[in-house]
Parts: sequence; C-alpha cells; structure tokens
Amino acid sequence: MSATRSPKVSERVAPKPADPAPEKKKRGNDEDDGPDFGTLLRAWLESHRSSLLDSLRRLGKQPIGSFFTCLVMAVALSLPMGLSLLLSNVERLGGSWQRAAQISLYLKLDASSRDGEALRDQIKGIAGVAEAEFVSRDQALNEFQKQSGLGEALRELPENPLPGVIVVTPKEVDKPALEALRQRLAELPRVELAQLDLVWVERLAAILKLGDRFVFGLTVLLVSALLLVIGNTIRLHIENRRIEIEVIKLVGGTDSYVRRPFLYMGALYGFGAGVLSWGVLAFGLNWLNDAVIGLSGLYGSDFALAGVPPADGLSLLLGAVLLGYIGAWIAVARHLSELAPR
Amino acid sequence: MIRFEQVAKRYPNGHVGLHELSFRVRRGEFLFVTGHSGAGKSTLLRLLLAMERPTSGKLLLAGQDLGQISNAQIPFLRRQIGVVFQNHQLLFDRTVFNNVALPLQILGLSKVEVAKRVDSALERVALSDKAELYPGDLSTGQQQRVGIARAIVHRPALLLADEPTGNLDPRLAAEIMGVFEDINRLGTSVLIASHDLTLIARMRHRMLTLQRGRLIGDGEAGQ
Repeated sequence: MSATRSPKVSERVAPKPADPAPEKKKRGNDEDDGPDFGTLLRAWLESHRSSLLDSLRRLGKQPIGSFFTCLVMAVALSLPMGLSLLLSNVERLGGSWQRAAQISLYLKLDASSRDGEALRDQIKGIAGVAEAEFVSRDQALNEFQKQSGLGEALRELPENPLPGVIVVTPKEVDKPALEALRQRLAELPRVELAQLDLVWVERLAAILKLGDRFVFGLTVLLVSALLLVIGNTIRLHIENRRIEIEVIKLVGGTDSYVRRPFLYMGALYGFGAGVLSWGVLAFGLNWLNDAVIGLSGLYGSDFALAGVPPADGLSLLLGAVLLGYIGAWIAVARHLSELAPR
Repeated sequence: MIRFEQVAKRYPNGHVGLHELSFRVRRGEFLFVTGHSGAGKSTLLRLLLAMERPTSGKLLLAGQDLGQISNAQIPFLRRQIGVVFQNHQLLFDRTVFNNVALPLQILGLSKVEVAKRVDSALERVALSDKAELYPGDLSTGQQQRVGIARAIVHRPALLLADEPTGNLDPRLAAEIMGVFEDINRLGTSVLIASHDLTLIARMRHRMLTLQRGRLIGDGEAGQ
C-alpha cells in the first residue's frame, strides 16, 4: 500500500440520490452538508441547457436531413388538420347546427299575439331551449306577401289564413333530445303543430359525423405514422451515439441524463414540423380562398374560407412538439435498455 | 474499500466466470489482477462496475452490496469509480477537453469548476497543451492518457483499469503505470487488470492471480 493519504470516499466524490449531483461544498473543517437547493437547481438547469444546445447543434449539423424529417412530419400533421379546418368552414357555410334543427310551433288560429308572446316567454324558460322567437300572424302574412310575390291576391282573402309561429332553437343537436323537446312543446296549450325537420337534421348530422370520423381516423393513422417517423429518426440518432451512451453510462450517467438530449431532439423535430405545417395550411387555405370566393360570388354570397385561427395554430404547434417528445420517449425507452455498457 | 466474500459468477450458458472468490482491498491500495485470457479478470471488473451481478456470495464496494444494489443506484455507484479501458473508449467527435469533462458534466458542475478540474486532470497526465485537439489528432499513448484523465477528473475513490497498457510499447506502458502510481499516491485505490507480468513485476505492488475463475495467488508482485 503506497498511499500517503486515505481520504474518505465522500470527500472526493459526490454520489447523490438525485440527478444531477453537483459537487459538495467544502468547509473549513473539511466537512460537508451536501449542495443547497440553488446549486441543485442551477445544475439541473445547466444540464437541460446543455442537452437542448447539444440537440440543436446536432440537428444543425444535418440541416437537409433534419428539414426533410420535419417536412414529412408536417405533411402528416397538415392532412388531418387541413381537413378539420375545411370541415369547420363547411359547417360555417351551411349555417349553424342550431339553425338546422329549429322547431316550428304553429299556434292555433284563435291564439292572439299576446298569447303568442306569453307562450314564447314560457318556452324560453324550458330546459334545452336556447332561443325562442315569436312571429305573429300579421308578420307572417307580410313576410309571405313579400317573398311569394302574391301580395295582391293575398289581400283579397277575407281573413289571414296564416297562424302565429314560435321558432324554437334548441341548445343541443341530439336526435332523441330534439324529439323529446318537440313532443313537450307540442303538448303546450294553443300549439296546433310542432314541426321538426329531423330528416334534414339527420342528414346533416350523418354528413358531419362521417366527416368527423374520417378526420379522426386519418388523424389516428397519421399520428401513428408520425410517431413511427420520429421513433425511427431517434433510433438512428441513438445508434449513431451508441459508444457515447455506453461511456456516459459507465461514468455515472443516469438513464434520464442519457434520455434527455433525445427527448429535446424529438421535441425540436416536432416544433419544426408544427411551424412548417402551420405555414403549409396558411398558404394552402389562402391559395384555395381565391377559388372559393369566386365560386361563392356566383351564388351571391360573400363567403370566404377562414385562415388558420391562432388558437388552432398554437394547438397544432403544441401537439406537434408533444408528439415529437412522445415519439422520442418511446424510441429511447425501447432502445436504452439494449445499450447497457459491454 | 472492496470486499469479495465467496463471490461466484455463473453465466446462463453454464460458463463459470468466477469461483467463490474472497479477498479484500484496502482504501488507497494499489493492486494488480493478473491471469491468462479467460481467467476472470474482466468478469471481476464488470462485477465491480455493476455491469453484472454476482450469482452468489457478497461483494461490497465502499460499503454498498453490489448484489443488492438497485438499477437506479448504479449510476451513483459508478460516480465513485474511474475506469480506464484498453481501447480508451474516447469520443472522437469531442475535443480532449470535452472528453475529460464528461463525468463532471454528468455531475452537473459549473463551467468554471469543470474547466478548473479538467485543466488539473490534463496537467496530471501531461496533456495540458492538447485540450483543444481531438482524440484522432493524438498518439495511442496520449489517447490512453486522455482516458486516464477522464477516469480521475471527478476524483474517484477507486480507479479500475482493464489492460490499460495492452496496446502500448514497453516505454509508454511504463509511463502510463507511472501515471497510475501518481494517482494512487493522492489516495485513490487503483485496481489494474493486466497480463503483462514483466511490467507488474517491476512495480512491486500487491498482485492477485486468477486462473479459470479461481484465486490462486495473492501477494506482492516480483516475489
């Protein structure tokens, strides 16, 4: 034994039950009481900062490869998001759900305007009713005269044949609920007939449900593809850094230390893909808009496609970052155990 | 520092790496483990690094039972150990400085502290002027010294070396052993697995001799 000094293990090394474990502070009497919170926090932040910078540096080293990976991910994100935005626009074009599902209550001919207004106020208080509007017999006749072009002929009639109407807008569009509401309204006094065009509602619901399902299916499919793309990309990065990972593990790097740069890399790929996807959608909708404006103008409408709302764009960006992170996590979790030092 | 108590290692294919090995290493001791290829030297080092677990017996390192240690504790155990490989295991896309700094970055030390300690470690292996070079720019002996600097930079309690002079000529091998002795003089326990008996004999340290996984000799080299 040739040692001239045999210091305690704890004097020279700082193994800690947490990662990272910064150096212990030395005191005058050579005792230590572990790092304070500030030191631990700085060490943790420094570790994250260096992982983020390292990931950025590695992506920057292969700009074309990184760009194309982001582009593939952006296409996978843009398809369902673009379809979803188009569906929202179609819904806006076709009017709101509530308008399509209005219930018309035709009042008895002997019901006065005061009866109609009282009934409207009563209906407004019923659960499930969003809005109720009363159209008196005279208003109905006036509108009919204007719209039908039969003004003169109608004036010859001995009395107004049109009943008063209360137009009820439900809060929710759900077939059983609508039918139940219709039946309840039909039983009200002075109501002759409660009419709900359920066929139209059903058709619209079916079309939109189909659209929603298609978008959902496509989203699931493309999100899976996106996870595979990011997983495979991260797997290649892991393979390229196999020796580095083995060395890091041998010199005391924890799994979370090894995992961290890859997670940042996944999140950065996701961020890049999100930005690209947002740009592609904004450009695509703008490009389509000229044709849509031209077409709607032919029908006397001023309808135009809405762009990507900022909230949707931010959700897209956040979702892309999250997907990149999750994809990287799955890839690292799968491959990290295979990279035990040999 | 290290206690082997009837430690055995058997592999699933039936091969026995170590047969009920028992010995102790004191803190600050310099020790060689020697034996022919397949004697169990590497198995012994792998057990100490918790890369493998003993099949039976008790293996204690700085008071920790390596047979019972959890996977989550292994990185913290390894921070008490420095390890030098025959093939250096350097990262060729990082500078010498960054190779040596790696254990300190894992510990989360500040940049100033990292720089101070890396400079000190490189000075100890006489490579201060090579900090900004890449390992590919260095000779084999210099690469090995970078590996040693990386192994000691975090001031480990124990330094393990697996055939550290295997690829070096006798002059360089003696130089590297001199570096290990310097490190040992500062209080670090040093355990070197080597089959270079000529070199070992010149150094007059304790030597364990393994043969087919059994301890067949424990005494000072050269005697």
